[in-house]
Amino acid sequence: MHDINDQADEMIGRIIDELKTLPPVPADATARVLARVDAARRGEDRVAYGSLNDDDVTFFPTSTEEMRAAPNAGSDAGRARPSPAKARGTGRFSRRFIISLPAAIGYALAATVAGFLIRGAVPRHPSERPGAQITNAPAGETLGARTMLVPAAASTRALQEAPVKVQLVLDAPRAKSVTVVGDFNAWDGSRTPLERDSSTGVWSVLVDVHPGRHIYAFLVDGKTWTLDPNAPRTKDLDYGTEQSVMMVGMR
Amino acid sequence: MRADLFMRWMRWTLSVAVLAAARAASGQASQGLDSATAAAIAPIVERARAEKLPVTALYAKAREGQVQRVPVARIEAAVRTLADRMRTANEALAPDASEQELHAAADAIKSGVGPETLRAMRQAGGDGSLAVPIGVLTQLIARGVPVERASMEVVSLLKKGAVARNFIALEESVRQDVLAGRRPDESLDLRLKGIVPNLPQSATTDATGLNASSPRRPR
Repeated sequence: MHDINDQADEMIGRIIDELKTLPPVPADATARVLARVDAARRGEDRVAYGSLNDDDVTFFPTSTEEMRAAPNAGSDAGRARPSPAKARGTGRFSRRFIISLPAAIGYALAATVAGFLIRGAVPRHPSERPGAQITNAPAGETLGARTMLVPAAASTRALQEAPVKVQLVLDAPRAKSVTVVGDFNAWDGSRTPLERDSSTGVWSVLVDVHPGRHIYAFLVDGKTWTLDPNAPRTKDLDYGTEQSVMMVGMR
Repeated sequence: MRADLFMRWMRWTLSVAVLAAARAASGQASQGLDSATAAAIAPIVERARAEKLPVTALYAKAREGQVQRVPVARIEAAVRTLADRMRTANEALAPDASEQELHAAADAIKSGVGPETLRAMRQAGGDGSLAVPIGVLTQLIARGVPVERASMEVVSLLKKGAVARNFIALEESVRQDVLAGRRPDESLDLRLKGIVPNLPQSATTDATGLNASSPRRPR
Protein backbone atom coordinates (compact mmCIF):
# COMPACT_ATOMS: atom_id res chain seq x y z
CA MET A 1 0.00 0.00 0.00
CA HIS A 2 1.40 3.34 -1.06
CA ASP A 3 0.83 6.32 1.09
CA ILE A 4 1.25 9.92 0.04
CA ASN A 5 4.89 10.02 1.11
CA ASP A 6 5.84 7.21 -1.27
CA GLN A 7 4.20 9.07 -4.18
CA ALA A 8 6.11 12.22 -3.31
CA ASP A 9 9.41 10.35 -3.20
CA GLU A 10 8.79 8.88 -6.63
CA MET A 11 8.02 12.30 -8.07
CA ILE A 12 11.12 13.84 -6.51
CA GLY A 13 13.23 11.04 -7.93
CA ARG A 14 11.92 11.70 -11.43
CA ILE A 15 12.66 15.42 -11.06
CA ILE A 16 16.21 14.68 -10.00
CA ASP A 17 16.74 12.36 -12.97
CA GLU A 18 15.40 15.06 -15.31
CA LEU A 19 17.69 17.69 -13.87
CA LYS A 20 20.72 15.42 -14.17
CA THR A 21 20.39 15.57 -17.92
CA LEU A 22 22.43 18.60 -19.19
CA PRO A 23 20.62 20.90 -21.59
CA PRO A 24 22.04 21.03 -25.10
CA VAL A 25 24.65 23.76 -25.59
CA PRO A 26 24.59 25.73 -28.82
CA ALA A 27 27.69 25.18 -30.92
CA ASP A 28 28.39 28.93 -31.36
CA ALA A 29 28.29 29.45 -27.62
CA THR A 30 30.86 26.70 -27.10
CA ALA A 31 33.05 28.27 -29.76
CA ARG A 32 32.86 31.68 -28.07
CA VAL A 33 33.84 30.23 -24.71
CA LEU A 34 36.78 28.34 -26.17
CA ALA A 35 37.90 31.45 -28.06
CA ARG A 36 37.91 33.51 -24.83
CA VAL A 37 39.75 30.81 -22.96
CA ASP A 38 42.37 30.61 -25.68
CA ALA A 39 42.73 34.37 -25.72
CA ALA A 40 43.12 34.41 -21.95
CA ARG A 41 45.79 31.74 -22.15
CA ARG A 42 47.74 33.86 -24.65
CA GLY A 43 47.43 36.89 -22.41
CA GLU A 44 45.44 39.03 -24.83
CA ASP A 45 42.95 40.05 -22.15
CA ARG A 46 45.45 41.39 -19.66
CA VAL A 47 44.29 44.90 -20.24
CA ALA A 48 41.07 43.91 -18.61
CA TYR A 49 42.88 43.66 -15.28
CA GLY A 50 44.26 47.16 -15.20
CA SER A 51 47.55 48.68 -16.17
CA LEU A 52 49.81 46.90 -13.69
CA ASN A 53 53.18 45.97 -15.03
CA ASP A 54 53.32 42.20 -14.92
CA ASP A 55 57.09 42.26 -14.71
CA ASP A 56 56.84 43.87 -11.31
CA VAL A 57 53.50 42.62 -10.07
CA THR A 58 52.02 39.15 -9.89
CA PHE A 59 48.45 38.38 -8.94
CA PHE A 60 47.60 35.80 -6.40
CA PRO A 61 44.14 34.31 -5.98
CA THR A 62 42.26 36.14 -3.29
CA SER A 63 39.12 34.04 -3.02
CA THR A 64 38.39 30.41 -2.44
CA GLU A 65 37.02 30.09 -5.98
CA GLU A 66 40.21 31.45 -7.43
CA MET A 67 42.26 29.20 -5.19
CA ARG A 68 40.32 26.19 -6.36
CA ALA A 69 40.79 27.28 -9.95
CA ALA A 70 44.53 27.86 -9.53
CA PRO A 71 45.61 24.23 -10.02
CA ASN A 72 44.00 24.31 -13.46
CA ALA A 73 46.10 27.22 -14.53
CA GLY A 74 47.99 25.22 -17.07
CA SER A 75 44.96 23.60 -18.63
CA ASP A 76 42.71 24.88 -21.35
CA ALA A 77 40.21 25.82 -18.72
CA GLY A 78 42.26 28.97 -18.27
CA ARG A 79 44.61 30.41 -15.72
CA ALA A 80 43.32 31.70 -12.46
CA ARG A 81 42.84 35.43 -12.80
CA PRO A 82 40.75 37.67 -10.67
CA SER A 83 37.79 39.14 -12.40
CA PRO A 84 38.12 42.75 -13.46
CA ALA A 85 35.60 43.66 -10.83
CA LYS A 86 37.68 42.06 -8.13
CA ALA A 87 40.89 43.55 -9.45
CA ARG A 88 39.47 47.05 -9.45
CA GLY A 89 36.70 47.06 -6.91
CA THR A 90 36.04 44.73 -4.07
CA GLY A 91 39.50 43.18 -4.38
CA ARG A 92 41.18 46.52 -3.85
CA PHE A 93 42.12 45.92 -0.26
CA SER A 94 42.58 42.18 -0.39
CA ARG A 95 44.69 42.13 -3.56
CA ARG A 96 48.26 41.11 -2.86
CA PHE A 97 51.24 41.43 -5.10
CA ILE A 98 54.94 40.88 -4.96
CA ILE A 99 57.74 42.91 -6.45
CA SER A 100 60.15 41.11 -8.70
CA LEU A 101 63.14 39.76 -6.82
CA PRO A 102 65.87 42.14 -8.10
CA ALA A 103 63.66 45.16 -7.46
CA ALA A 104 62.74 43.89 -4.00
CA ILE A 105 66.40 43.35 -3.09
CA GLY A 106 67.29 46.81 -4.36
CA TYR A 107 64.52 48.50 -2.42
CA ALA A 108 65.32 46.54 0.72
CA LEU A 109 69.00 47.48 0.54
CA ALA A 110 68.20 51.13 -0.15
CA ALA A 111 65.72 51.24 2.72
CA THR A 112 68.17 49.57 5.09
CA VAL A 113 71.00 51.93 4.22
CA ALA A 114 68.70 54.92 4.43
CA GLY A 115 67.42 53.78 7.80
CA PHE A 116 70.88 53.33 9.22
CA LEU A 117 72.06 56.66 7.85
CA ILE A 118 69.04 58.49 9.20
CA ARG A 119 69.51 56.95 12.62
CA GLY A 120 73.15 57.90 12.42
CA ALA A 121 74.21 54.40 13.29
CA VAL A 122 76.63 54.01 10.42
CA PRO A 123 78.79 57.13 10.60
CA ARG A 124 78.54 57.72 14.31
CA HIS A 125 80.72 56.10 16.87
CA PRO A 126 78.99 54.88 20.02
CA SER A 127 81.06 57.30 22.02
CA GLU A 128 79.40 60.18 20.14
CA ARG A 129 76.04 59.41 21.63
CA PRO A 130 75.08 61.81 24.39
CA GLY A 131 75.60 60.21 27.74
CA ALA A 132 77.24 57.17 26.23
CA GLN A 133 79.23 55.01 28.58
CA ILE A 134 82.83 54.71 27.48
CA THR A 135 83.68 51.20 28.38
CA ASN A 136 87.18 49.88 28.21
CA ALA A 137 85.91 46.34 28.04
CA PRO A 138 88.49 43.63 27.61
CA ALA A 139 88.46 41.86 24.29
CA GLY A 140 86.90 38.80 25.86
CA GLU A 141 83.85 40.80 26.86
CA THR A 142 83.22 42.16 23.40
CA LEU A 143 80.03 40.84 21.88
CA GLY A 144 80.00 41.43 18.16
CA ALA A 145 81.33 44.57 16.60
CA ARG A 146 79.71 47.17 18.81
CA THR A 147 77.97 45.54 21.73
CA MET A 148 79.88 45.53 24.97
CA LEU A 149 79.02 44.25 28.39
CA VAL A 150 78.59 47.34 30.53
CA PRO A 151 79.33 46.77 34.18
CA ALA A 152 76.71 47.61 36.75
CA ALA A 153 78.82 50.51 37.96
CA ALA A 154 78.45 52.14 34.57
CA SER A 155 74.66 51.92 34.71
CA THR A 156 74.72 53.35 38.24
CA ARG A 157 76.78 56.23 36.96
CA ALA A 158 74.45 56.75 34.03
CA LEU A 159 71.55 57.16 36.48
CA GLN A 160 73.54 59.57 38.62
CA GLU A 161 74.57 61.55 35.57
CA ALA A 162 71.08 61.97 34.19
CA PRO A 163 70.59 65.56 33.06
CA VAL A 164 68.68 68.02 35.22
CA LYS A 165 66.81 71.15 34.19
CA VAL A 166 68.67 74.37 34.86
CA GLN A 167 67.23 77.83 34.27
CA LEU A 168 69.50 80.45 32.76
CA VAL A 169 68.44 84.08 32.94
CA LEU A 170 69.82 87.25 31.39
CA ASP A 171 68.38 90.71 31.85
CA ALA A 172 68.90 92.32 28.46
CA PRO A 173 65.83 94.38 27.57
CA ARG A 174 67.41 95.92 24.47
CA ALA A 175 68.68 92.69 22.97
CA LYS A 176 67.10 91.40 19.80
CA SER A 177 68.18 87.82 20.42
CA VAL A 178 69.99 85.90 23.13
CA THR A 179 71.37 82.38 22.92
CA VAL A 180 73.50 80.41 25.32
CA VAL A 181 76.63 78.52 24.30
CA GLY A 182 78.41 76.12 26.59
CA ASP A 183 79.86 72.70 27.00
CA PHE A 184 76.36 71.35 27.73
CA ASN A 185 75.14 72.21 24.22
CA ALA A 186 78.46 71.65 22.42
CA TRP A 187 78.87 75.42 22.01
CA ASP A 188 76.10 75.49 19.45
CA GLY A 189 74.11 78.68 19.96
CA SER A 190 71.37 77.65 17.56
CA ARG A 191 70.38 74.84 19.91
CA THR A 192 69.46 77.00 22.87
CA PRO A 193 67.82 80.35 22.19
CA LEU A 194 66.46 82.24 25.20
CA GLU A 195 62.89 83.54 25.23
CA ARG A 196 62.12 87.12 26.12
CA ASP A 197 59.48 88.03 28.66
CA SER A 198 57.78 90.94 26.95
CA SER A 199 56.74 92.62 30.20
CA THR A 200 60.15 92.54 31.91
CA GLY A 201 62.62 92.23 29.06
CA VAL A 202 64.25 89.32 30.85
CA TRP A 203 65.50 86.46 28.70
CA SER A 204 65.41 82.93 30.07
CA VAL A 205 65.64 79.31 29.06
CA LEU A 206 65.56 75.88 30.67
CA VAL A 207 68.43 73.64 29.62
CA ASP A 208 69.18 70.00 30.30
CA VAL A 209 72.57 69.77 31.98
CA HIS A 210 74.42 66.76 33.33
CA PRO A 211 75.54 67.01 36.97
CA GLY A 212 79.02 68.48 37.29
CA ARG A 213 80.89 71.67 36.47
CA HIS A 214 80.01 73.46 33.27
CA ILE A 215 81.17 76.59 31.51
CA TYR A 216 79.08 78.80 29.28
CA ALA A 217 78.35 82.30 28.03
CA PHE A 218 75.51 84.17 26.41
CA LEU A 219 75.64 85.40 22.84
CA VAL A 220 73.63 88.61 22.55
CA ASP A 221 72.39 89.51 19.09
CA GLY A 222 74.42 86.65 17.69
CA LYS A 223 77.83 88.20 18.31
CA THR A 224 78.35 89.79 21.73
CA TRP A 225 80.02 87.42 24.21
CA THR A 226 78.24 88.10 27.51
CA LEU A 227 78.91 86.51 30.89
CA ASP A 228 76.18 85.54 33.32
CA PRO A 229 76.10 88.23 36.00
CA ASN A 230 74.66 85.70 38.47
CA ALA A 231 77.37 83.07 38.07
CA PRO A 232 81.03 82.76 39.01
CA ARG A 233 83.58 83.25 36.28
CA THR A 234 86.69 81.48 35.18
CA LYS A 235 89.33 82.07 32.55
CA ASP A 236 89.62 79.39 29.91
CA LEU A 237 93.25 78.39 29.49
CA ASP A 238 92.80 77.12 25.95
CA TYR A 239 91.37 80.24 24.32
CA GLY A 240 92.04 82.84 26.99
CA THR A 241 88.45 84.05 27.32
CA GLU A 242 86.38 84.47 30.45
CA GLN A 243 83.44 82.17 30.90
CA SER A 244 80.64 81.67 33.38
CA VAL A 245 80.64 78.58 35.58
CA MET A 246 77.73 76.54 36.87
CA MET A 247 77.90 73.69 39.35
CA VAL A 248 75.04 71.29 38.81
CA GLY A 249 74.07 68.71 41.38
CA MET A 250 71.92 65.69 40.99
CA ARG A 251 68.18 65.59 40.99
CA MET B 1 47.78 52.39 -12.55
CA ARG B 2 47.61 52.39 -8.78
CA ALA B 3 50.62 50.14 -8.50
CA ASP B 4 52.56 52.32 -10.94
CA LEU B 5 51.85 55.34 -8.79
CA PHE B 6 52.86 53.41 -5.71
CA MET B 7 56.14 52.36 -7.26
CA ARG B 8 56.88 55.92 -8.35
CA TRP B 9 56.07 57.22 -4.89
CA MET B 10 58.28 54.57 -3.33
CA ARG B 11 61.20 55.41 -5.61
CA TRP B 12 60.76 59.14 -4.92
CA THR B 13 60.55 58.60 -1.18
CA LEU B 14 63.63 56.42 -1.11
CA SER B 15 65.57 58.93 -3.21
CA VAL B 16 64.63 61.75 -0.87
CA ALA B 17 65.49 59.62 2.18
CA VAL B 18 68.90 58.68 0.80
CA LEU B 19 69.70 62.28 -0.12
CA ALA B 20 68.61 63.51 3.30
CA ALA B 21 70.61 60.81 5.03
CA ALA B 22 73.69 61.66 2.97
CA ARG B 23 73.34 65.30 3.90
CA ALA B 24 72.82 64.40 7.56
CA ALA B 25 75.87 62.14 7.56
CA SER B 26 77.92 64.89 6.00
CA GLY B 27 76.68 67.32 8.63
CA GLN B 28 77.54 64.90 11.40
CA ALA B 29 81.02 64.50 9.99
CA SER B 30 81.77 68.21 10.11
CA GLN B 31 79.67 68.87 13.24
CA GLY B 32 78.84 72.39 12.10
CA LEU B 33 82.47 73.41 11.70
CA ASP B 34 83.84 75.36 8.78
CA SER B 35 85.80 73.28 6.32
CA ALA B 36 89.23 74.57 7.37
CA THR B 37 88.65 73.79 11.04
CA ALA B 38 87.08 70.42 10.27
CA ALA B 39 90.06 69.45 8.13
CA ALA B 40 92.55 70.65 10.73
CA ILE B 41 91.13 68.56 13.54
CA ALA B 42 90.14 65.52 11.46
CA PRO B 43 93.32 63.49 12.20
CA ILE B 44 93.03 64.21 15.92
CA VAL B 45 89.40 63.15 15.93
CA GLU B 46 90.11 59.97 13.99
CA ARG B 47 92.85 58.94 16.39
CA ALA B 48 90.60 59.63 19.39
CA ARG B 49 87.80 57.67 17.78
CA ALA B 50 90.11 54.72 17.25
CA GLU B 51 90.96 54.88 20.95
CA LYS B 52 87.25 54.96 21.83
CA LEU B 53 87.44 58.42 23.34
CA PRO B 54 84.32 60.59 23.15
CA VAL B 55 84.93 62.73 20.09
CA THR B 56 81.92 64.98 20.67
CA ALA B 57 84.01 66.85 23.24
CA LEU B 58 86.69 67.45 20.60
CA TYR B 59 84.17 68.83 18.13
CA ALA B 60 82.70 70.97 20.91
CA LYS B 61 86.12 72.37 21.76
CA ALA B 62 86.63 73.28 18.10
CA ARG B 63 83.22 74.93 17.92
CA GLU B 64 83.95 76.83 21.13
CA GLY B 65 86.96 78.36 19.39
CA GLN B 66 85.00 79.00 16.24
CA VAL B 67 82.27 80.85 18.17
CA GLN B 68 84.98 83.05 19.68
CA ARG B 69 86.60 83.58 16.25
CA VAL B 70 89.85 81.99 17.33
CA PRO B 71 92.38 81.23 14.52
CA VAL B 72 92.29 77.68 13.17
CA ALA B 73 95.84 76.92 14.33
CA ARG B 74 94.91 77.74 17.91
CA ILE B 75 91.74 75.67 17.67
CA GLU B 76 93.75 72.73 16.39
CA ALA B 77 96.22 73.08 19.28
CA ALA B 78 93.37 73.27 21.81
CA VAL B 79 91.68 70.19 20.38
CA ARG B 80 94.96 68.26 20.38
CA THR B 81 95.60 69.24 23.99
CA LEU B 82 92.10 68.20 24.97
CA ALA B 83 92.54 64.83 23.27
CA ASP B 84 95.74 64.30 25.25
CA ARG B 85 93.97 65.21 28.48
CA MET B 86 91.12 62.85 27.73
CA ARG B 87 93.59 60.09 26.98
CA THR B 88 95.25 60.64 30.36
CA ALA B 89 91.87 60.83 32.09
CA ASN B 90 90.70 57.65 30.41
CA GLU B 91 93.73 55.76 31.65
CA ALA B 92 93.43 57.19 35.16
CA LEU B 93 89.72 56.39 35.49
CA ALA B 94 89.98 52.94 33.91
CA PRO B 95 88.46 50.49 33.48
CA ASP B 96 85.18 52.22 32.77
CA ALA B 97 84.83 55.98 32.78
CA SER B 98 81.65 57.67 31.70
CA GLU B 99 81.70 60.46 29.16
CA GLN B 100 80.77 62.98 31.86
CA GLU B 101 83.60 61.77 34.06
CA LEU B 102 86.06 62.07 31.20
CA HIS B 103 84.94 65.63 30.47
CA ALA B 104 85.29 66.55 34.12
CA ALA B 105 88.65 64.82 34.45
CA ALA B 106 90.03 66.54 31.35
CA ASP B 107 89.06 69.90 32.87
CA ALA B 108 90.67 68.91 36.16
CA ILE B 109 93.90 67.95 34.43
CA LYS B 110 93.83 71.35 32.72
CA SER B 111 93.67 72.89 36.20
CA GLY B 112 96.72 70.95 37.35
CA VAL B 113 95.19 67.83 38.89
CA GLY B 114 97.41 64.81 38.40
CA PRO B 115 96.31 61.39 37.14
CA GLU B 116 97.27 59.85 40.48
CA THR B 117 94.58 61.98 42.14
CA LEU B 118 92.02 60.77 39.62
CA ARG B 119 93.03 57.18 40.25
CA ALA B 120 92.68 57.72 44.00
CA MET B 121 89.25 59.26 43.46
CA ARG B 122 88.15 56.27 41.39
CA GLN B 123 89.29 53.89 44.12
CA ALA B 124 87.65 55.93 46.87
CA GLY B 125 84.46 56.69 44.98
CA GLY B 126 83.42 53.12 44.30
CA ASP B 127 80.71 52.71 41.71
CA GLY B 128 79.44 56.26 41.96
CA SER B 129 79.90 58.89 39.32
CA LEU B 130 82.91 61.15 39.84
CA ALA B 131 81.62 63.91 37.57
CA VAL B 132 80.51 66.13 40.45
CA PRO B 133 83.45 65.51 42.83
CA ILE B 134 85.94 66.12 40.03
CA GLY B 135 84.05 69.24 38.97
CA VAL B 136 84.09 70.57 42.54
CA LEU B 137 87.81 69.85 42.78
CA THR B 138 88.38 71.86 39.61
CA GLN B 139 86.27 74.72 40.92
CA LEU B 140 88.01 74.77 44.31
CA ILE B 141 91.32 75.08 42.48
CA ALA B 142 89.87 77.83 40.29
CA ARG B 143 88.85 79.67 43.47
CA GLY B 144 92.41 79.61 44.71
CA VAL B 145 92.71 76.51 46.86
CA PRO B 146 96.13 74.93 46.19
CA VAL B 147 95.94 71.87 43.92
CA GLU B 148 97.53 69.44 46.39
CA ARG B 149 95.36 70.57 49.26
CA ALA B 150 92.15 70.47 47.27
CA SER B 151 93.03 67.06 45.79
CA MET B 152 93.79 65.57 49.18
CA GLU B 153 90.57 66.84 50.77
CA VAL B 154 88.35 65.69 47.92
CA VAL B 155 89.82 62.19 47.97
CA SER B 156 89.41 62.15 51.73
CA LEU B 157 85.77 63.17 51.43
CA LEU B 158 85.13 60.38 48.94
CA LYS B 159 86.69 57.85 51.29
CA LYS B 160 84.35 59.06 54.02
CA GLY B 161 81.33 58.51 51.78
CA ALA B 162 80.62 62.06 50.66
CA VAL B 163 78.04 62.26 47.89
CA ALA B 164 77.31 64.78 45.16
CA ARG B 165 75.21 67.06 47.35
CA ASN B 166 77.99 67.23 49.96
CA PHE B 167 80.46 68.36 47.33
CA ILE B 168 78.04 70.89 45.86
CA ALA B 169 77.36 72.27 49.36
CA LEU B 170 81.08 72.53 50.07
CA GLU B 171 81.75 74.41 46.83
CA GLU B 172 78.87 76.80 47.43
CA SER B 173 80.02 77.53 50.97
CA VAL B 174 83.59 78.21 49.89
CA ARG B 175 82.30 80.44 47.13
CA GLN B 176 80.29 82.50 49.59
CA ASP B 177 83.24 82.73 51.97
CA VAL B 178 85.63 83.85 49.25
CA LEU B 179 83.14 86.46 48.09
CA ALA B 180 82.97 87.64 51.68
CA GLY B 181 86.74 88.06 51.73
CA ARG B 182 87.92 84.86 53.41
CA ARG B 183 91.00 83.08 52.05
CA PRO B 184 90.09 79.99 49.99
CA ASP B 185 92.15 77.50 52.01
CA GLU B 186 90.86 78.93 55.28
CA SER B 187 87.34 78.62 53.97
CA LEU B 188 87.97 75.01 52.98
CA ASP B 189 89.21 74.18 56.48
CA LEU B 190 86.20 75.84 58.03
CA ARG B 191 83.58 74.22 55.80
CA LEU B 192 85.07 70.74 56.03
CA LYS B 193 84.47 70.88 59.77
CA GLY B 194 80.79 71.26 59.06
CA ILE B 195 80.57 68.50 56.48
CA VAL B 196 82.85 65.67 57.60
CA PRO B 197 81.10 64.74 60.87
CA ASN B 198 77.90 64.04 58.96
CA LEU B 199 79.46 61.66 56.46
CA PRO B 200 78.61 57.96 56.79
CA GLN B 201 82.19 56.65 56.90
CA SER B 202 83.39 59.19 59.45
CA ALA B 203 84.44 57.51 62.69
CA THR B 204 81.62 57.95 65.11
CA THR B 205 81.28 56.63 68.60
CA ASP B 206 77.98 55.18 69.62
CA ALA B 207 76.64 54.60 73.07
CA THR B 208 78.63 51.37 73.45
CA GLY B 209 81.86 53.18 72.85
CA LEU B 210 82.59 51.24 69.66
CA ASN B 211 83.39 52.81 66.36
CA ALA B 212 80.43 52.49 64.07
CA SER B 213 80.12 53.26 60.44
CA SER B 214 76.93 53.06 58.47
CA PRO B 215 76.81 51.56 55.00
CA ARG B 216 77.48 53.86 52.09
CA ARG B 217 74.50 55.76 50.99
CA PRO B 218 73.63 55.73 47.30
CA ARG B 219 74.52 58.94 45.52
